Amino acid sequence: MSYCVNCGVELDPTASACPLCQTPVVNPRQPVDTELPPPFPSRREEVQPVNKLELALLLSAMLGSVAVVCGVLNLFFLHSSRPWSLYVIGAAVMLWIWLVPPLLFRGMPLWVRLGLDACAVGVYVYLISIDLHGLRWYLGLALPIILTGGAIMVALGLILSRGRSILTSVTLIIGAIGLFVMSVELYVDHWLHQDYVPGWSLVVAAVCVALIIPLVIVRRRPALRDEVRRRFHM
Amino acid sequence: MAVPKKKKTEWYRLDNAAMMYSAIQKENYSAIYRFSAVMTELVDPAALQRAIDRTMPRFPGFRVHIKRGFFWYYFEPNDAPGPFVKEDMSNPCQPVRFREDDGWLIRFFYYGHRISLEVFHALADGAGALTLFRTLLAVYLRELGHQIPNTGGVLDVDEPPSREEQEDSYFRYAKSRVRRGMGESKAYQNNGTPEPFYTLNVTMGLVPLDKLREVAKGYGASVTEYLSAVLIESILAKQRREGRRRELPVALAVPINLRPHFPSRTLRNFILTVRPVIDPELGDYTFPEIVSQVHHHMRLHISRQEMQAVITRNVMLQKNKLLQLVPAPVKNLTMAISYKLVGCRPYSTTYTNPGAFKVPPEMEPHIQRMEVILGQSYTPRSNCASISYGNTMEITFAGTVKESDVERDFFRHLVREGIHVKVISNRQGPEPPAR
Repeated sequence: MSYCVNCGVELDPTASACPLCQTPVVNPRQPVDTELPPPFPSRREEVQPVNKLELALLLSAMLGSVAVVCGVLNLFFLHSSRPWSLYVIGAAVMLWIWLVPPLLFRGMPLWVRLGLDACAVGVYVYLISIDLHGLRWYLGLALPIILTGGAIMVALGLILSRGRSILTSVTLIIGAIGLFVMSVELYVDHWLHQDYVPGWSLVVAAVCVALIIPLVIVRRRPALRDEVRRRFHM
Repeated sequence: MAVPKKKKTEWYRLDNAAMMYSAIQKENYSAIYRFSAVMTELVDPAALQRAIDRTMPRFPGFRVHIKRGFFWYYFEPNDAPGPFVKEDMSNPCQPVRFREDDGWLIRFFYYGHRISLEVFHALADGAGALTLFRTLLAVYLRELGHQIPNTGGVLDVDEPPSREEQEDSYFRYAKSRVRRGMGESKAYQNNGTPEPFYTLNVTMGLVPLDKLREVAKGYGASVTEYLSAVLIESILAKQRREGRRRELPVALAVPINLRPHFPSRTLRNFILTVRPVIDPELGDYTFPEIVSQVHHHMRLHISRQEMQAVITRNVMLQKNKLLQLVPAPVKNLTMAISYKLVGCRPYSTTYTNPGAFKVPPEMEPHIQRMEVILGQSYTPRSNCASISYGNTMEITFAGTVKESDVERDFFRHLVREGIHVKVISNRQGPEPPAR
């Protein structure tokens, strides 16, 4: 019988290393027995992940039927001169993109998911712009805002998915809000005056910076962090 | 002509613990545990299947599938063929899916000399499952031609099942005037690197019981108290290695069988947990001090009165009219969250010791040892369980975690105390060196 030189425990004759510390078994008097069956089977049985196809089908059917019914009503019965059903169809499409692909494609990367979500918002607003004959404001104002918001969400999601502390998360979220608000004013100014004169967004950004600075200091000073943890414990 | 009366479908309510276990069920977690008997002879799967077919009707509480009602889950007798004995696999205690495998919540496996029984915790606790297992092993040995009497805890499979075995004993004993809460503080979570989707690393240590008992006695403690203390010491050492600025308490969830304290013949769940804890922020504890803390904590808190107050509180929640009206999906979600806060957060790991597995003397020569495995934990950490048979105490660490540091320190401690330990594991080691 072989013993682990590190742990002092007796090992199974079939063990090539100690299961506790991985030290290899080197025993010239009793080499590892490869003939004996190991103490546990080596056949691995895979567990199939829960199938979410049924739920995805149910959601698709519900959203699809709402969209179809509204579309038919709009075309033949109710205010057929105006495409009001696009609001409902757009909302159904947006909800479908938000909910169904994550159910069907397990392990979808976060950036793809958030990117798709932002695209869904873009599609919904596009359908609204069709009803309001507003392709110009859609391309000039709404789409850049939605894409920037989406990009900020993707970046934030990627950073936060690596398990940050509450303080870091709050700091990053406030920073992202500040950035988004500034970009909104940039697009609005550009759309209205073809010029960027920062105004109201600077106030919001200043508030965000004023919140971020103490948070960063608290995050970096252990004594302060402890104090905050004590004062705000739940 | 008289119309034949339609047979009324029987159904059972879930007991208090079962409600929690079925609610916290999720894709990569299931409250499954496994008992195994390593026989002296190679297992005959056909005889084992015959034994299962003969034994299961005697245990209607295990022959069920779980159904979702509007307000609660409930059990219904499962008339599907089976359960069938299967060849064992390297990753045991797989999650239970209520709609798959014909709804069976109990499984049987064989490998070499080993017969294994896996049970979903909502059906029964360790004591109940061991009664089934003991009876099954007796029937299996009879199938092989051995004379085994219906004594020493072996139930007669030809007898009709008794109603008392199906009793929800929590309800019977929820009679305390005081309701004792459990709001415990957060403990060190003892997490490691998670393994890929459903991999359960199992490491078992085989220890001579007489020597273990002697060493435990040297500290003035029982075997359970001594092993709990060694486990706490190993987890404290792990936390210290991580170099945390502020160390959290290390606490164990130790399930206690309530049957010795509250007379009951139930085969369903009837357990509560105690929480021995060491707070390293108070200062460093020597090992004898840890044993002493654990010993006194267990003796102080395992009292009939205190446990009855906890049972009353748990059952009162279940009886609350307002809570009863909440639909099952919402209840399950709430229970899953409260399990994280109350059942997971205050504990570093679980250590369960169902004690000695006793069989009639006629069965003893046919069984080498017993083994127990707790299924995957909610978080990537190892759970510990032990069971003794004859003079062999088997201690298992099982979890979906890559590191083996806690079990390493645990078994090294036993070796340092002069206890012989033999270790076996399902971890795939490196290839053996060429001869």
